[in-house]
Amino acid sequence: MSVVTVDYKQEGDIFDIQRFSLNDGPGIRTIVFLKGCPLSCWWCSNPESQRRRPVVMYNEAECVHCRRCESACRQHAVTFTDDGVRHFNFDACTGNGDCAAVCPVGALVMKGQHIDVRSLIDILKKDRSTFRHSGGGVTLSGGDPLMQADFARELLKACKAQGWNTAIETEGCAEPCDVLDVIPYVDHILMDIKHMDPEKHRTFTGVSNELILSNARKIAAFSPLTIRVPVIPKFNHSEKEIGDIARFAASLGNTECMHILPYHSLGENKYRMMGCEYKMNRLSVASLSNEELEKYRPIIEQAGVRCRIGDE
Amino acid sequence: MDVLAKGFTQPTDRIKALKNAIYDATPTVEADRAELITASYKETEGLPIILRRAKAVEKLLNETPIAVRDNELIVGSLTVGVHGCQIYPEFSFDWVEKEFDTMATRMADPFDIPKDTAKRLHDAFLYWPGKTTSDLATSYMSKPCLDAQANGIFTVGNYYFNGVGHVCVDYGKVLREGYSGIIREAEAAKAKLNGTSPEDIKKCHFYDAVIITYKAATAYAHRYADLCDQLAAQESNPARKAELTQMAVNCRQVPENPATTWWQALQGFWFVQLILQIESSGHSISPGRFDQYMYPHLEADKNISQDFAQELLDNIWIKFNDLNKTRDAVSDQAFAGYAIFQNIQCGGQNEDGVDATNPLSYMMIDSAAHVAMAAPSFSIRYWNKTPDEFLYRACELVRLGYGYPAMYNDEVIIPAMMNRGIPLKDARQYCIIGCVEPQVPHKTEGWHDAAFFNIAKVLDVTLHNGRNGKLQLGPKTGEMKDFKNLGELILAYKQQMEYFVRLLAEADNCVDYAHMERAPLPYLSALVDDCIGRGKSVQEGGAIYNFTGPQAFGVADNGDSFAAIQKHVFEKKEVTMEQLFDAINHNFGYADETGKIEQWFGNGCCESNASIEGMDERQIYEAVKRILSANGSIDINQLQKDIQSGTTKTQAPAAAGDATQYQNIKRIMENTTWFGNDDDFVDQITREAGQIYAREVQKYKNPRGGQFQAGCYPVSANVLFGKDVAPLPDGRLAWTPLADGVSPRAGCDTSGPTAASMSVAKLEHETFSNGTLYNQKFSPSALAGDEGLKRFAALCRAYFENKGMHVQFNVIDKAALVEAQAHPEQHKDLVVRVAGYSAQFVSLAKEVQDNIINRTEHVF
Repeated sequence: MSVVTVDYKQEGDIFDIQRFSLNDGPGIRTIVFLKGCPLSCWWCSNPESQRRRPVVMYNEAECVHCRRCESACRQHAVTFTDDGVRHFNFDACTGNGDCAAVCPVGALVMKGQHIDVRSLIDILKKDRSTFRHSGGGVTLSGGDPLMQADFARELLKACKAQGWNTAIETEGCAEPCDVLDVIPYVDHILMDIKHMDPEKHRTFTGVSNELILSNARKIAAFSPLTIRVPVIPKFNHSEKEIGDIARFAASLGNTECMHILPYHSLGENKYRMMGCEYKMNRLSVASLSNEELEKYRPIIEQAGVRCRIGDE
Repeated sequence: MDVLAKGFTQPTDRIKALKNAIYDATPTVEADRAELITASYKETEGLPIILRRAKAVEKLLNETPIAVRDNELIVGSLTVGVHGCQIYPEFSFDWVEKEFDTMATRMADPFDIPKDTAKRLHDAFLYWPGKTTSDLATSYMSKPCLDAQANGIFTVGNYYFNGVGHVCVDYGKVLREGYSGIIREAEAAKAKLNGTSPEDIKKCHFYDAVIITYKAATAYAHRYADLCDQLAAQESNPARKAELTQMAVNCRQVPENPATTWWQALQGFWFVQLILQIESSGHSISPGRFDQYMYPHLEADKNISQDFAQELLDNIWIKFNDLNKTRDAVSDQAFAGYAIFQNIQCGGQNEDGVDATNPLSYMMIDSAAHVAMAAPSFSIRYWNKTPDEFLYRACELVRLGYGYPAMYNDEVIIPAMMNRGIPLKDARQYCIIGCVEPQVPHKTEGWHDAAFFNIAKVLDVTLHNGRNGKLQLGPKTGEMKDFKNLGELILAYKQQMEYFVRLLAEADNCVDYAHMERAPLPYLSALVDDCIGRGKSVQEGGAIYNFTGPQAFGVADNGDSFAAIQKHVFEKKEVTMEQLFDAINHNFGYADETGKIEQWFGNGCCESNASIEGMDERQIYEAVKRILSANGSIDINQLQKDIQSGTTKTQAPAAAGDATQYQNIKRIMENTTWFGNDDDFVDQITREAGQIYAREVQKYKNPRGGQFQAGCYPVSANVLFGKDVAPLPDGRLAWTPLADGVSPRAGCDTSGPTAASMSVAKLEHETFSNGTLYNQKFSPSALAGDEGLKRFAALCRAYFENKGMHVQFNVIDKAALVEAQAHPEQHKDLVVRVAGYSAQFVSLAKEVQDNIINRTEHVF
């Protein structure tokens, strides 16, 4: 028998840890959000996750105009006018965090933390009792955890070494070797399929879906998986488009469930805080409710896949 | 398909009718008890106090008017009117007199006092000035002790103005042996006295008192038997006639003799519960481990149907809600919701360390669901071997949203009690009293609610060098600006704590002596071991275990304040102590409608006209010193000028620009990781803030030969006592509510319920052996379905595995609470968890309602 080793010194970038999560795998879970994503979906509610390097978010409502950041920033990305109005040049910002470090009220926040597996496991251990009693564990999300395949793999191994259940939430848009490198250590795979049409996929996410679909088949050959679909108005919010995904999910032969999630615009404010455009505003569409997705249930079930809607 | 959740059946029509009768009643004060006890005291002035108390109880039981309620199967009530209350002038009375005209309309727990009742009470009260336990306690107290109370550091008001209560007696003994057995026991003990010891004189009177009391209590039950017979004779409905006839039979069997059926056992139990509350006004008369001493009687009753056994139990549940008490308007804000804290439990382990859950444990859960009213306070004991089925069933009841059962952790409480010198077998038998207080049943005089101690106020006073506003209340331990690091501040806090806890112990012991000398209770004492053996009442030290348990609140406020100071003043140096002090004294730039900030810290423009009269001694001294050192002589005009400029210099009026500066300081201080987010730094410092109190408390002894032990729970006093506390460094504004119990401050636990409960579990609950209280609020959706139930049970097990002591839950949408606040008339049935007890939401004072609404709600 070979000896399994975990590289606890492996380092990676994360931007959040969320405890008491009930919707991303069995039991009560902690989600680790890894930074970096190959996609840039218009509706993304975690835009701070997309870039690998740290980003600064600025919450104007919290700002007390003390101008400590102005003096701290070596790039002069932060300036104030004489009447106290603040300007942030996001392009000049290198994300070194000097401004956030001096902000006394938390109006400037660095999103992104370089951390090794050992330190992360120590944080995750805070919920070990809850994991044990609920059958829960750790879910890696992002971004896409597969963008940091080495880190994700070692982190998942370390979680397994603690006896925790593991899950991963992925876009599946990664080198096939990276995919196969990571999934042996995952108990539950939650994979996004957003659209079956490569061009439409490219328009709204920045990449084609071909690699994603082929990775889905590779994963399915290896392990059962949940297919997740954000239902986005004017993108895939139709019986035809959701039906196509359902039939693809069925064709994988190993899909446990197709989980459709209603579009919400809760992330919009983050774009403002990062000085970016929220492209969904171009479409002028409203958030969806679970009820509005009910009509897809028979279609998905007819394709031969179990259906789950929203937080049910 | 959900199969884990079993669902709950509907109660019978009888139970529904009994419940509605209570909701429809207007709580009304009755004068009979006050009149009768006054008459008795006038007749017995020459007798030893223990006999005076026995004679008083005898008169009360013989002459107080009695009633049998429509539909009920168990008889015995405190008042003729439903949900009414009696008055207990021997403890205190002036507050009742003061509230004759306002008690019906006051904010919290209003009671009607009809004009003729007020007149009768007034006449009775003429006898009592100088004769109450409260008067005696006051005369024992020193001035600093009274000052500390007057300034909101602590109150011992509970026992200062009322009976002690807070006890679980030997109900099982009454059901096994009857009152006749207790009389025989007292007679035998009396017969053994041979007069060789001087103590025998007092013992003899004690035994006589017990015998008088228990004979009267037997006759009292017979009065009910006669009334039932009388009502049966008049009754036309044959079914009800048969019930009344049986009820008469029951009242002649119990409590005089052992119970022979489940119905009689419940009736006998109820007489004990009732008479304890006729004898004294002490609340928290707690039935304790009901499933343990009652189950043998259910098991032995082979003829009763399951449905009827359940209906009888449901009827007992209703009866708890009929008993009522009034308190003064201020205390009632602390004990909001007509609560009298009759805590009843099931589950846990027996004295041999074997799981004790039995079929009655499950029936109690059903009764709680059927009756769904504020009383009794229903709790379960949890331990590592609690059956999953039982925990799931308890969680299912929690999910209904009435705030019960509360859950208690054997794995923490048993070692905590053993740490107080209680042997393992007794510790395993612990029950819960009142809100959250563990004691060994029928062996303890625990004095569990001995005080509310406001540790946030101690921090407030520490930050002002021992001053409360302008009054030098505590020792001078340094001005805030002079603290160079957190250690120095905490040292000052510790010195203030030592001073005030010493006064607390003094106050409690003064009240303790008053009860010993003026209110020994023979009925209660005969049911607490080893009063009969020792021949003295519990008030004189007759119980095997004696404690005094004053509880703290404001732990999270202090921990958060220390953490905020450490981060923003000492580490990041974003704010100086002087700036923070200034901001605190200006309420962080926010308006203060009470005007107290102005009075206390003298910030406004009127202060610039300050005269010598307006100065306190210290300020005059400082001014004189300044002038003397400059001039060597005094010019009174210059002194006047100097004082004016001195004050305007250091305490400039808050202009608009300043207000923004102060508000910014508040924002800076609030950029802190608070207690309740599983952050080790703030959690440890919060633990220390609480432990400094607990360690100080446990140094003291009481006159009954027992030890002080701290608790950490607020009832609802965190709202009331918040009104005495100036702004705190954590950004809390003046006079707003404090954190409740060991819970994080409302809205500050933002990392989810697991993080919050892990923070709470770190506080070292073992030291708070008088009990801790942790409130969690869940949105109903978080607990829905079998999955929700499983997760909920997992959360409970995880919290307890990490050494949490107590947890209770409100499972209700914020929207539903807001709606009930707006339309109280439509939501009379909404029951919520306040602190260690549940209450009818609409009966709570608005501030308490707001405090509940603002607790962090954990959702998906």
